[in-house]
Amino acid sequence: MAGAAGHFGGTNKAGGRVGTRDPRWMRWGLTMVAVVFLAVMLILPLVIVFATAFSKGWAGFAAAIAESESWSAIKLTLLAAVVSVPLNLVFGVAAAWAISKFEFRGKNLLITVIDLPFSVSPIIAGMLFVLLFGAHGWLGPWLAARDIKIIFAVPGIVLATVFVTVPFVARELIPLMQAQGREEEEAALSLGASGWQAFFRVTIPNIKWGLIYGVILCNARALGEFGAVSVVSGHIQGVTNTMPLQIEILYNEYKFVPAFAMASLLVLMALLTLVVKHGIEWRAARSHAQTVDETVGVAATA
Amino acid sequence: MSIEIQGVTKVFGDFKALDRIDLTVPSGELVALLGPSGSGKTTLLRVIAGLESADEGSILFDGEDATTRHVRERGVGFVFQHYALFRHMSVFENVAFGLRVRPRKLRPSREDIRERVMKLLKLVQLEHLGKRYPGQLSGGQRQRVALARALAVEPKVLLLDEPFGALDARVRQELRSWLRRLHDEIHVTSVFVTHDQEEALEVADRVVVMSGGRIEQIGTPEEVFHHPANEFVMHFLGNVNVFHGRVEGGKAVFGDVAVEHGETATATRSSEIEPLDDEAKPAKVFIRPHEWDIAVYRNGRPAMEAVVIHVNAAGPVVKVSLLSESGEPVHAELPLEHYRSLELRTGQRVFLSPRKVKVFFD
Repeated sequence: MAGAAGHFGGTNKAGGRVGTRDPRWMRWGLTMVAVVFLAVMLILPLVIVFATAFSKGWAGFAAAIAESESWSAIKLTLLAAVVSVPLNLVFGVAAAWAISKFEFRGKNLLITVIDLPFSVSPIIAGMLFVLLFGAHGWLGPWLAARDIKIIFAVPGIVLATVFVTVPFVARELIPLMQAQGREEEEAALSLGASGWQAFFRVTIPNIKWGLIYGVILCNARALGEFGAVSVVSGHIQGVTNTMPLQIEILYNEYKFVPAFAMASLLVLMALLTLVVKHGIEWRAARSHAQTVDETVGVAATA
Repeated sequence: MSIEIQGVTKVFGDFKALDRIDLTVPSGELVALLGPSGSGKTTLLRVIAGLESADEGSILFDGEDATTRHVRERGVGFVFQHYALFRHMSVFENVAFGLRVRPRKLRPSREDIRERVMKLLKLVQLEHLGKRYPGQLSGGQRQRVALARALAVEPKVLLLDEPFGALDARVRQELRSWLRRLHDEIHVTSVFVTHDQEEALEVADRVVVMSGGRIEQIGTPEEVFHHPANEFVMHFLGNVNVFHGRVEGGKAVFGDVAVEHGETATATRSSEIEPLDDEAKPAKVFIRPHEWDIAVYRNGRPAMEAVVIHVNAAGPVVKVSLLSESGEPVHAELPLEHYRSLELRTGQRVFLSPRKVKVFFD
């Protein structure tokens, strides 16, 4: 059985299905269209970003990054990511756990609410916080009386980032944990494990890849968020500007080298994220394929 | 350890999964919960384990109330239908899990754990596969790992949910007799759930037949098979021919046939005990396929005429499908030698006399 399947796959790889093969011109034509499209729409812009960033050499690039306002934007962006990713990690795991392992009233409502940040425009998300915490907002006077600044300050930026990144971890985990069911946890409990032991020794290892993947996506969004943060930031350079906001300001002031220098940093982070994500997908797929392969092998020999 | 279940009821929404169940499992016995899907057998097993809580009633372990005891403290070994092995742990680690999660004071040393796991793997004949992962095992091997894992914590009760449900026929047969031998060896009180009557009758000391959240009958395999308490049990345990007839003067009458029904028919749940007067009462007459005598000529015994329509002679028992005069399908089974001596052909007219009938009043 396994042999037959292997043979079949082999034929396929060698392109043996002459009858269903498309004519040469069509294959080449379609490939060319795809390549040109990729080059113009993706690769060229990336090249331009880096070319412009380094148009005044390394020195120009370094000077642009080292400028205090840019540097503080980098730090603020990293701070927003460092706060929002762990918060969403804890929230995402807790929400996915509750949704997939228990039956309760309002479960569908919870799933819908988790999706909310995906479905509303980030601008609206920012407005929500302004309406809530701003000077003329519901809690504004109360906060002002206690000299707590949220809007046009760092807490507002962190809050907005947390809001827009809420769905990433939970969305990734819910289908995974629903598919895995409750039996392994029940088995752990029946063997005498405590709830925490079952969670750390059984649940977490089972959702490991999904969890890492969710964190990566969450992180990417936290670094790149523009809309919601833009509304609550107030664009105070050196204080409440994140990298994307700083890039916009620099660009609008015709400071192309510094703008593209910052942009190239964001692009680098994004590329790095993609590489890590790809690596994880590859590893997860491989460990899965291995398991399946060997199962089939054992079943065939049994 | 003995298990006593007293008046346990469990409701899911509008569905009554268990309806005032009373059952006692004596220490050391191997009991099967047998029933169709939806009969509540798995729910009962999960209530015993503490994975589900009873809405009413109580569970006693060795006479001690364990109704509110957490699953962790019940000391039960549970084998799940789909094994629920920890997929990221090796077979060895799976079996060792229950020992490793113990509080430090009660935890055996590393060497002790190793020794015990190896002993268990040997018991389930998997000592060479300790380093494999669950995904690399066949269904039968996974089932045995699940069993070893459950036994590792030295449970006082072993609970198995459809233990052979997901296996193919041959592996199933092997594991069945293996489980029976294992139980004779370690003698832990065991309850297993199955919908397969053959499995229950072959493996268990006692069979509990369930349907609709209630217990229909409790008895040894022989008792439930030969002396079913009601129509449901009669139907569920093997094939049976049913005729609508009546009971008159101590005889079961259906069609042209009137036969003594040897044992006093026990009443079905809804009806009274058989009255002793001679008045005719409508009843259902049940005859198992192997309890027909087939004759080619009329021989003076009360018999039903029928025509052979199909014969399946593949196996030691020959299955014959017939059509009675009144147009009812009838199934009969007879030993191969007997079938050969009769020289039955399709289309042949034969005479069927029941050796034994079972009667339940309508």
